[in-house]
Amino acid sequence: MSDTRLQPATSESSPWDTTGYWGPTDPEQHPAVRLVRERFPDAFREVVVFRDEVTIRVARQALREVVDFLRTHPELRYNHLTDITAVDMLYLRERPRFDVVVQLYSIPRRQRLRVKCGVEDGETVPSLVPIFAGANWLERECYDMFGIVFEGHPDLRRILLPEDWDEGHPLRKDYPLRGYRDYVQPGFDSPAPRVRGTLRRPGP
Amino acid sequence: MIDFSQPTPVILSEVRQLTPTRRELVLNMGPQHPSTHGVLRVRLTLEGETVIACDPVIGYLHRGVEKLGESHRYAQFVPWTDRTDYVAAPSNNLGYVLAVEKLCGIQAPERAQYWRMIMAELTRIASHLVWLGTHALDIGALSVSLYTFRDRELILDIFEKFCGARLTTNMMEIGGFSREIPPDLPEMVRSFCRYFPQAIRQYKDLLTENPIWLGRTKGVGVIEPEVAINYGLTGACLRGSGVNYDVRKAMPYLLYDRVEFEVPLGTHGDVYDRYLVRMEEMRQSIRIIEQCLEQVPTDGPLMAYESQYVIPPHKNVMTTAEDMQRHFIWVIKGFSPPKGEVYHAVEHSKGELGYYIVSDGSPIPYRVRIRTPDFVNLQSLPYMAQGAMLADIVALIGTIDIVLGSVDR
Repeated sequence: MSDTRLQPATSESSPWDTTGYWGPTDPEQHPAVRLVRERFPDAFREVVVFRDEVTIRVARQALREVVDFLRTHPELRYNHLTDITAVDMLYLRERPRFDVVVQLYSIPRRQRLRVKCGVEDGETVPSLVPIFAGANWLERECYDMFGIVFEGHPDLRRILLPEDWDEGHPLRKDYPLRGYRDYVQPGFDSPAPRVRGTLRRPGP
Repeated sequence: MIDFSQPTPVILSEVRQLTPTRRELVLNMGPQHPSTHGVLRVRLTLEGETVIACDPVIGYLHRGVEKLGESHRYAQFVPWTDRTDYVAAPSNNLGYVLAVEKLCGIQAPERAQYWRMIMAELTRIASHLVWLGTHALDIGALSVSLYTFRDRELILDIFEKFCGARLTTNMMEIGGFSREIPPDLPEMVRSFCRYFPQAIRQYKDLLTENPIWLGRTKGVGVIEPEVAINYGLTGACLRGSGVNYDVRKAMPYLLYDRVEFEVPLGTHGDVYDRYLVRMEEMRQSIRIIEQCLEQVPTDGPLMAYESQYVIPPHKNVMTTAEDMQRHFIWVIKGFSPPKGEVYHAVEHSKGELGYYIVSDGSPIPYRVRIRTPDFVNLQSLPYMAQGAMLADIVALIGTIDIVLGSVDR
């Protein structure tokens, strides 16, 4: 290190350095799965492992309690909120309409975990802002793009789109790629034709 | 040093109503302000020269990249990732390409992985040079930006030699590189590595001991480690506060576990520490590039040869019938990864860049989510700005290192 004000990162910096990825063994043995299932037997829905990534699905009402439990439990310590986003499951299943996806990371244990919950259109999700300050803008973006309302969010308004945007929520699957309206570009008489107006999804 | 045996405390974000009283003044800064690094708009509530509240307004450069990702085939989306963070385009390519490769369960050949590391580290240096030049320019040191842009040209020349483009490179493909490495490229990179350490010393001579620079950066914009974690910061904003989290070390991707480098950590968490951390990161990047150039095989494939997911090499397309058919199908129909969802993160120059891809088994991704580092890092601006002076706001915006194409996507 060239500068005395800086410190090199040593192994003592995080005393719980363990191995990197959690290996692809039985998902029930994963500590987060085991402890969450013990603590929230009613809210726990399922666990999915794909490409060594563990996803647990919980009930919508229990999302904040589960994430707070994962954050504070001494064996887990998922203390870094990486991402909150949503997926519109309109073409994949009947209901619920959306999946809210929370990516968590544990800095001392170097592990990732994905927590999901299903939300029907019009239902609310408990906000994570009371436990993670960084959830603020991520949830605002989620509201802006999907129209999912986070209950308990201090300042839920649009973030990327203008505040007076009246065309709905663009990342929903029924929102056309070019929007609902036709805009005439400067120098043209009529709006450009919609060559890709409806999204064609070829089968697998 | 932060104690992880206790849960990190919660920072309750307080939202002030922006209604000015008699002594308060609401001031609009941006979106066309020279020191907001693009089209960031900040709504400031001032009392005298002290900032009481600060509300960043973003979205002026929103192009709906995630929506576009849901309407393009997997390989067609790679050029779009260039346009999210346009000063560090190869790193964006890398994050997306690695996520798709993880989804398909394929891996690039060893030689391509080394060259990806070299390009990613060159990108980190180029991005840090833009940051350093503009950050110093905001604070008032004009001459640094002249030298940083001079040295960035050398990196852009390397990119141009490699793929023909300088800014939006579109250099990586799913499965590796489709172009052969030009024979004199390793020597160009080597001569850059020989030249660049003394350039870093030049910048340090200009800034590190400069009393004006110290006065403007030391003790300004302090983020405590607990606060940095609770805000979800990554990159130099997190490491400047002394939290040891670097994706290259924590969850090594490519071949970062085969090279030696150190992760610098700050001690005070102010603007000056983040400056020092980024300067040291550039030096460590040079170390990584030198080791990669020593270890990289001189010949071998640059593209994985997977029958299902990767475009076949051009020579085979022209000579064998099977590969010509595969080429047709790959270009016309695209390829279909298995059903599932992956999240893959890389250490971008600004922090953790993550791509979350949901596949329904069709050639078009069902959902592409880009977790950009500066969108999350910018949230800490109101925290840092509270109680700061008005003139410090430009230093605080500079220290987060934002690119608005990446914040707004």
